[in-house]
Amino acid sequence: MHKGRMFFCGFLILVAAAAIYLALEWPFKAALFPLSVSIPLVILAAIQLGQLFLGKGEIVESAAVDLEFSSDVPPEVERRRVITAFSWIAGFVLCVYLIGFPLTVPLFICCYLRFESGVGPLPTIAATAITWAIFYGLFQKLVHLQFEQGVVQAWLGL
Amino acid sequence: MFDAFIDGLFLVLQWKAFSLMLVGMGLGFCVGLLPGIGGAATLALMIPFVFKMQPAEAFAFLLGMHAVAATTGDITSVLFGVPGEAISAATVVDGHPMAKNGEAGRALGAALMSSLVGAVIGAVALALAIPIVRPLVLAFGSPELFMLAIIGISCITSLSGAGARGQVKGFAMGLFGLLVSTIGQERQSGSLRFDMGLMYLWEGLDFVPVLVGVFAIPEIIDLTVRGTSIAGERPAENLRSGVMEGIKDTFRHFWLVFRCSVVGVFVGILPGAGGGVAQWMAYAHAVQGAKDAKDRERFGKGDVRGVLGPGAANNSKEGGELIPTVAFGVPGSGAMAILLSAFLIMGLSPGPDMLTKHLPITFSMVWTLVIANIIAVLLCLTILDQLAKVTNVRGGLIIPFVLLLVFVGSYTANGQITDLLVTLIFGVLSYFMVLFGWPRPPFVLGFVLGKVIETYFFISVARYGFAWLTQPMVIVLIILMLFVIAYPYIQKRRQRVQSQANA
Repeated sequence: MHKGRMFFCGFLILVAAAAIYLALEWPFKAALFPLSVSIPLVILAAIQLGQLFLGKGEIVESAAVDLEFSSDVPPEVERRRVITAFSWIAGFVLCVYLIGFPLTVPLFICCYLRFESGVGPLPTIAATAITWAIFYGLFQKLVHLQFEQGVVQAWLGL
Repeated sequence: MFDAFIDGLFLVLQWKAFSLMLVGMGLGFCVGLLPGIGGAATLALMIPFVFKMQPAEAFAFLLGMHAVAATTGDITSVLFGVPGEAISAATVVDGHPMAKNGEAGRALGAALMSSLVGAVIGAVALALAIPIVRPLVLAFGSPELFMLAIIGISCITSLSGAGARGQVKGFAMGLFGLLVSTIGQERQSGSLRFDMGLMYLWEGLDFVPVLVGVFAIPEIIDLTVRGTSIAGERPAENLRSGVMEGIKDTFRHFWLVFRCSVVGVFVGILPGAGGGVAQWMAYAHAVQGAKDAKDRERFGKGDVRGVLGPGAANNSKEGGELIPTVAFGVPGSGAMAILLSAFLIMGLSPGPDMLTKHLPITFSMVWTLVIANIIAVLLCLTILDQLAKVTNVRGGLIIPFVLLLVFVGSYTANGQITDLLVTLIFGVLSYFMVLFGWPRPPFVLGFVLGKVIETYFFISVARYGFAWLTQPMVIVLIILMLFVIAYPYIQKRRQRVQSQANA
């Protein structure tokens, strides 16, 4: 966790430093605000990093007004579940890219309910059909949302 | 004036105007629930339908829809941690933890009732402020508006961890949000910044994919890790009494709700700030109102005050935004700019005529805001019991549908698959922010305020050089900003002195 915190500080410093480097090339009007923001960001992130190096950052770690992840799951299980969750999310995005929204929606709902949630075949099919019907009726027929074609369909010339 | 006030009520209660208001409310209800389909976009879609309507009917239809979208946006924020509207993001911070604590009914009751109170206060402000608002708006030039936005950012000190280290993190995150907001074409010179050669980034990052990613993805990950329902293993809440408790909370903390409503009205009046800012300023104000450090630590973990503040400000700002729109034809937000086009379609010109010749129509808007919110809240209260039960359904059965909602909502921002990638990237970033204790609200506030701050900063420097810092109102606002930053220390010192005196 300590390394992770330092890594995040380093990430902020890197982003801000890159912003400064790029902004120096721009005209004054365009560079004024990014520079005014990036320079103090580098300083503040460096202060935080320095505190972490000196071991002060974690001693007086005051809670931020924000979400706190639940800690009642063993770390190995937590890590595995986080990777699983991100894989599903990334898989969804990849699937939309490959085959488009209209096909991804039923496929994703069906696969997730069946393989991840362990729902029986009949309820899975029913839930998939209802979700697809709502998706099709609401977004495609009613709102007329134009969904981009997936690259697979484009490649096949469909 | 009183006659016009009553005439305004009768204009709304005419069967055709009232029916159209109900239709608009139905649309607003759905739009509010669906992430990404914003109230402003729906207003734009509905503009072609008002051509054949009378002015009072058109405003009943459009405002009814717009007002309800702001109210129902809180529902998904509380239940799933997915902001239904960009202006409902602050409700997630405490509303969703309440749902996790088995208090979904209470959170929804509080969100809806505070929204209603906020809407009524906003409408009253609209009715009262029209004659007196002109000097206020004219007194605020670019330097003052810039300083006001900076005060908004300074409020982040109360949104991050207590003490100097918390403030360092808060400011760093606020600056990071401001930096992200600079992506895209710079408005004054037209230069492209941080566009990485992608045309998608020329217009900058849209609020919806970023906000949805920042708030929804870590919640989904957390729900997956816990492997339970949203409310966990806690016994199911007595929903009816929970909702009633939320309603009572609104009146228990009425002074807070009132103050946050005033914040909403004030932010609404100022051009360009918008609801995204009002909710966060109200949230920051609620946090700063904590009695001590222990009381303050309840925020972010499911404190009802964190729901009441943004809920009230979100709806009161509607009345506030209408003030400059009606009185001067200066829209306070994108939605009001679209509403302004409805004025022109109706053959009305905003300005003095709206305060004299067309005063009943102006008052009909006030009445629409009040009546639409009352009906919406009453309707929502009848179905809350069913909605809140969702928090007791196993997470594995909810996650795919929430993910679908998140990504379809994100996609509606620009209609590009890249929106999904933006949501994913900011979701991952947000996950690490939470994991390593970097507060997200200052980042979001910085991101939302970024473009406004940059515009006013540039105009101030271009017009006055650095002399803008010496203007009397700016000096007052600088002092106020310093007070906002120092307030947690003053509060801490006062408590220490008090505890020493007691000992």
